[in-house]
Amino acid sequence: MKKILGLSLMILMSFVFVGCQSNTINTWDEIEERGYFIVGLDDTFAPMGFRDDAGELTGFDVDLAKEVSERLGVEVRFQPIDWDAKVLELNGGSIDMIWNGLTITDARKEEMIFSNPYIANTQMVMIKSGSDIDLLSDLANRTVGVQVSSASEEVVVANDISSDLEELLKYDTYNLALLELENGSIDAVVIDEIMGRYIMSLKPDVYDVASENFGAEEYGVGFRLESTSIRDQINATLIEMINDGTAGEISQLWFGEDIFFS
Amino acid sequence: MDYLLDTISYLINGASVSLRIFFVTLLFSLPAGILLSMFYRFSPFLNKLVSAYTWLFRGTPLMLQLFFFMYGLPAMGIPVDRMMVAYIAFIINYAAYFTEVIRAGIESLPKDQYESAQMMGASDVTIYRHIIMPQAIRIQLPVITNEIITLIKDTALVTVIAISDIMRNVKEVVSRDFTISPFVLAAIFYLMMSYLIIKVARYIEKKYDYIENTA
Repeated sequence: MKKILGLSLMILMSFVFVGCQSNTINTWDEIEERGYFIVGLDDTFAPMGFRDDAGELTGFDVDLAKEVSERLGVEVRFQPIDWDAKVLELNGGSIDMIWNGLTITDARKEEMIFSNPYIANTQMVMIKSGSDIDLLSDLANRTVGVQVSSASEEVVVANDISSDLEELLKYDTYNLALLELENGSIDAVVIDEIMGRYIMSLKPDVYDVASENFGAEEYGVGFRLESTSIRDQINATLIEMINDGTAGEISQLWFGEDIFFS
Repeated sequence: MDYLLDTISYLINGASVSLRIFFVTLLFSLPAGILLSMFYRFSPFLNKLVSAYTWLFRGTPLMLQLFFFMYGLPAMGIPVDRMMVAYIAFIINYAAYFTEVIRAGIESLPKDQYESAQMMGASDVTIYRHIIMPQAIRIQLPVITNEIITLIKDTALVTVIAISDIMRNVKEVVSRDFTISPFVLAAIFYLMMSYLIIKVARYIEKKYDYIENTA
């Protein structure tokens, strides 16, 4: 009896594991065959990818991805992910690309390949209005918040000021960090300018920006190291959209200006 | 080699945060639970008060409580300290569970023990201190152990208020280096802690084996 039980359990387990095995897709032909590609995103990163009042995914990068999928004749599916686990999700095959205000950094280039950079960004220091923080050196002995595993965290840690900080706190999402900034629990948040400015436009008079920042950078779409053919396909379509002005229209919609690299 | 040492010391930092929350919570919530469980019988008013307390804190997720203390209190103008929020939320939450666990122990005892002691002229304090509580706690020891094992794993929840415990640091290393091995280290940490908890619990169970039932 025990043997039969053990055996059936083993068979059951093997089914479970076989069922879990995802088919990691690395070529564009396979995507066309399947009929859709999966975009991984942090659905709290406004205005690139977030949820509107009705809970629907929306945002600048979401609109771009939808336009690309239409042009290529395949469906796009969005998969919200834990930003901390983005590389695991990508390599595990549950998403085909990360398209969500993803900063191109040297460290990330070792883990994924990027499309051409499409917009510029800086890492700015967001403060509560009325704060005396203006230069990076003013951050000494202050508590600073960033999103965990973000490009912001990377630039802060790489900067000499990081050793002088009172504490560098890592949040699951920027919303929480900004909430604490507003509450006065922390002194500053280092954040992508694209997101920071957008939040400030929604909540005027609450926040301010220090005049010195942590430097300029570029956004790109990230793919698995092996997915060159998918990258090339998306990249070509994105360039086409920038050249014929469609991307510019989407940018107008979200930022009131065309911020694409031409 | 430096890299390996750095990574390990980073994980140890995280582990020490987890352990601090674990020990502080245990130190305060277990005695609080023992005390509150006795309040149930002292007066109808206290009974209602304690029931309301355990309902509130067993009935809402610990994560929600952490959020409330961390983000709700400052919004009401009360400044908070991050580690203090973790300690207080965990203590209040776990004290609620311990209260109910020990109350179950108290109620499992036959009522005539209490009545006999009262007939002999023992005061309430003496009855609870020397008759009821030692038995109630002893009976519930395995359940208390269960809660304590849950506690060491629950400490991972503090990442939601931006405290870097072992789970947060492990996830960071995993996403930075793309190696799964830190997950194994975290598992070993939790397993070692629960092994220790179980060993200590077994020792106490044997030592206070009033009814000589331990296997």
